[in-house]
Formats: sequence, C-alpha cells, structure tokens
Amino acid sequence: MSEDLQHGQRKELSAGLIQYSVESAMPFGPIHPSLKEPEYFKLILEGERIVQVIPRIGYVHRGIERAAQERTWVKNIYLFERICGICSFAHSLGYTHAVEALTPFEVPKRAKYIRVIVAELERIHSHLLWLGLLGHWAGFDTLFMWIWKDREHILDLEEAITGNRVHKSYSTFGGVRMDLPDGIAAKLKTEMKYIEKRVDYYENLVGAEETLTVRTKGVGRISQETARRLSPVGPLLRCTGIARDVRVEDPYAAYDEIAPRVQTSNDGDIASLLTLRLNEIRESCWMVSEAAERLPTGPYKVSIPRAVPRGESMFHVEAPRGELFYFVKSGGGSAPERVKIRTSTMANLLTATEMLKGCTLADVPVVLTGMDPCFGCMDRISVLDVGQSKEWSVRGEELRTYGIEYYRKRLS
Amino acid sequence: MSSEDLAKLAASLGGSLATRPKSVELTITPDKVLDACKSIASIPGLYHLTTITGLDLGEEIGLLYQFWQGRGFVVVRTAVPKANPKIQSISGTLASATLYEAEIQDLLGVSFDGNPYLGKKLLLPDNYPAEAPPPLRKEADPEKIRKMMELE
Repeated sequence: MSEDLQHGQRKELSAGLIQYSVESAMPFGPIHPSLKEPEYFKLILEGERIVQVIPRIGYVHRGIERAAQERTWVKNIYLFERICGICSFAHSLGYTHAVEALTPFEVPKRAKYIRVIVAELERIHSHLLWLGLLGHWAGFDTLFMWIWKDREHILDLEEAITGNRVHKSYSTFGGVRMDLPDGIAAKLKTEMKYIEKRVDYYENLVGAEETLTVRTKGVGRISQETARRLSPVGPLLRCTGIARDVRVEDPYAAYDEIAPRVQTSNDGDIASLLTLRLNEIRESCWMVSEAAERLPTGPYKVSIPRAVPRGESMFHVEAPRGELFYFVKSGGGSAPERVKIRTSTMANLLTATEMLKGCTLADVPVVLTGMDPCFGCMDRISVLDVGQSKEWSVRGEELRTYGIEYYRKRLS
Repeated sequence: MSSEDLAKLAASLGGSLATRPKSVELTITPDKVLDACKSIASIPGLYHLTTITGLDLGEEIGLLYQFWQGRGFVVVRTAVPKANPKIQSISGTLASATLYEAEIQDLLGVSFDGNPYLGKKLLLPDNYPAEAPPPLRKEADPEKIRKMMELE
C-alpha cells in the first residue's frame, strides 16, 4: 500500500499531520479523564508498515474483582454492570446465571424469554454503535450520524422495558426485576421491522461506498489458522469462518428454544466483519420478534434467599463482542469469596495485534475499531520507527485525520 | 474430550478426576499442567482456552485452566505454594494463554516461566510498590497500598 511512497516522502507527509511530542515528558493521556477509554499500544514500524505491536492495558483497571469481595451478592450485580456501558446487561446476565447455578432454584420461563429480548436488543445497539464508529474513524461521518440515530430506537425500547438506557439493572437472581410493560410486544415487532429495513439500506451503502471499501477490504486480515491459535471470541472468530457461538453450543436463558442461526463470513478482514455484524443484527431482530411473539405467561421472578450456598460455579454468555466468562466462588457468606471475569476484549487483544501487523499506520484507527474494543479508541499510541530510531506519540484523533488524508492522497 | 479419554489422561498424569454440573475437573500437580493442557488442546474442537483463573487459597494459589467444551468446561486444576509461586508457562504451546498468565502474575504474584510478560507488568501501574503484596491476595490491604503509592 505504501510502496509508492519513499521513506523521506512519508516523513514529509506525516510531519504535517502528526504532532511530534518528543519533548513532552508528561503526555496527554493515557489516563487523562477527558479522553475516551484509554489504551496504549506500542507500534514498531518499518517505514509505513507495522511489524510488531506490544499492548499495555490496565489504565482503567478499577480492581473490580477485589471490590466484589467486599460487597454483598446483590450489590455486585450493579457493580459488574458498570464494567462496561455497552454490554452491561451481558455482565449482569453472566453473573446472575453463575450465582443461580449455585442455588437449587429454577428461573421462570417468562424471565428467560425476557432476558433473551433484552440481551438481543443490547447486541443490536452494540453492533450499530460499532458500525457508526467505523464510519467515523474511516472519515464517513454521515454514516455515523445516521446509524446513531437508528440506535436511539433501540435505546428507547430498552428504556421502556428496563427503565434505563445504559445500565439497565434489570437481570437479578431468580429472574428479572420487573415485568414487561403493556403493549411492548407490538412495539418491539414494529421497531425490529424498521431496523431490518435500515440494515438492508446500510448493506447496500457500505458495499458501494468507496470511502469504506478502500479502508476495509483486505485490511487487518487474519487467517483461520491464526484465529485457531489465538482463540478470539465472537465476531472476530466468526469472520474467519469458524461458527462458534455460546448461544448455540452452550445455550442459556431461552436460547435453546429461540436459537440463532450462527452467522459467519470468510475473509477475516474488516469488510467481512462489517457484513457479519450486519447479518447478526438481522438475526437478533428476528430473535427479539420471535421471543416477543412466543412470550410465555407466568411469573417473571422467583425469590432466592440472600445467602448463596457454598460452592464454585462457572458460566459464560455470548456478549455482543463474544464469549464473556464468569467464575464465582461462594464460602456461604453474604459476599462472594472470589469472582473472576474474563471479558471478550481480553480474549481478542492478541488477535488484534496480529491484525495490525502488516497494516500501515493509516489503517490503525480502522483496524482497532474493527475488533470492537471495549477500551474505546486507542487514545494514545507510541510509534517507534525502526529506520529512524525515533519514538513519538500520537493521539487517536490525530491518527484518524492522518488515515483519512493518507487515503485521500492515494485515491486522488 | 470424552470422559474415558480424560480418565486415561488423569491416570497417566497421576491426577484425579471430578465431575460437576457444568465441568469436568482434572486435579494434578503443577509440573504436569503443561502436559495436560497440551493433550487437551490437541483434541480437535477443544482448542479454546476460555481463561485461567487464579484463587488465593490461604497457603497456596490455586490455578484453574478452563477449556470450553460443548455444554460446559474441561478444567485443569492445580495449586502452587505461596512461598514459591512458580509454574511453567503454557503460552509456548497455547498462545492464547499469554495474557491470562500475565494477568495472574500481576494480580496474584505467580511467575509463569516462559511467558513473554515474565517480570513485566500488564495491568498494574508502573509505580505499584514492589514490597506490597499483589492486590488480589488476601493479605493485600488496599488502604495500605494506597498510602505506599502516595495517593493520599
């Protein structure tokens, strides 16, 4: 991609766009509160091409696993939801399932169906959010605005059902906190039809729009062999053709009755992640309508005693980004002895570094967004140029502009 | 992996096998973990290490290598003494274990021999005091550590 650019030219090109910050010993970030979720990747470059990536995480490590040991079982539901603002329901779902597995109580069927509805709504809004962000980082801000407007429809539904748009505080031990409001089933079906229509529109758009195709086709490619070696989860695994989904292989809630048809794509690049996620949104729309249609009557919750019996339990759910794992150990007391959480991004991080290798610096924003990272946008990246033995830092926003300019020059 | 295969593996490694509602657990000594994980990962369709969980058990640190299989997990369970918390890394064979081991090294102070993050930090801040116990150990007192880090 950069063969047409000589080393000196690249320097010239980047000099105008990247703020060198060699002299600034106290950089802006990665833990500055005004930044989006902070992250740090050290990229080793040869000319324009990335040859090595060293991730360093933990800038937003809040010690939640330790904090959980000091809180009661119920309070932890609300703590774990706050791990992530996008897949908060998946966290409460994983935790409540893991704890319920330690008790002899069976969750009512109606609650299981309601859990599926909210979990799938969350998947739709998470995938839409991702698609919008990809548009933003690739310089297609109109797409970003359209999609985020459509996403509001889902957030409104979530608010109508749970009372909240982000941290739903909805799943609880023994079921869900309250029943569905009257008349929601019809509303769900209408809105799902609307979203499906929009997905069709976006599918045509992203296939035809050069702004996106040139930034995504063949970019950040991983092979099936790499995926097997590094065990990523969710769409990152499925975009290489491996059909693995917790909802199908190890069903929970009502997924044994409303099973999704697992979507896959084969190219393993950002473009195939795009089509894959659009197909997954369609599948989730179908599941929400189906669950609303077949919603059983009966109680939405059973009461479970506050003391959780002694024992260990492990549970995983399919969050929008892939397998989310909870391990819970109870000593019979009012608080858990240990809770271990493995989020999807942790499992996908190594694969993301593989995706970056061979890409150009201009591809970094799109490739990192492509993995749908939960730590947000690489707000601070340190760049080490092997030829120049020089190190400098760039902010995510600068890198976005750089990427857009880079491709504009290449296309003109 | 069928239960007969696991029983054979347990017998060959001198370990014991327990069946729980959502998992089959193979308990072995730390020196056999690499062999056990290699055998499990060589089964087609079972190369998915979900994670490695570390537990503070008082005198020991428990380690659970959790592989997703069908409707549950195959777990390799072992424990290393707190006095000498060292174990062979499996990241050479199962690359996906790299970050999970690095996380346990940070939070529970177990050294995984052969892991690229050995002696380096992944999650903890660079100024985490060397004399303070790792933060997920029972003896770690968050207040004391905060004072050591001069945050208060």
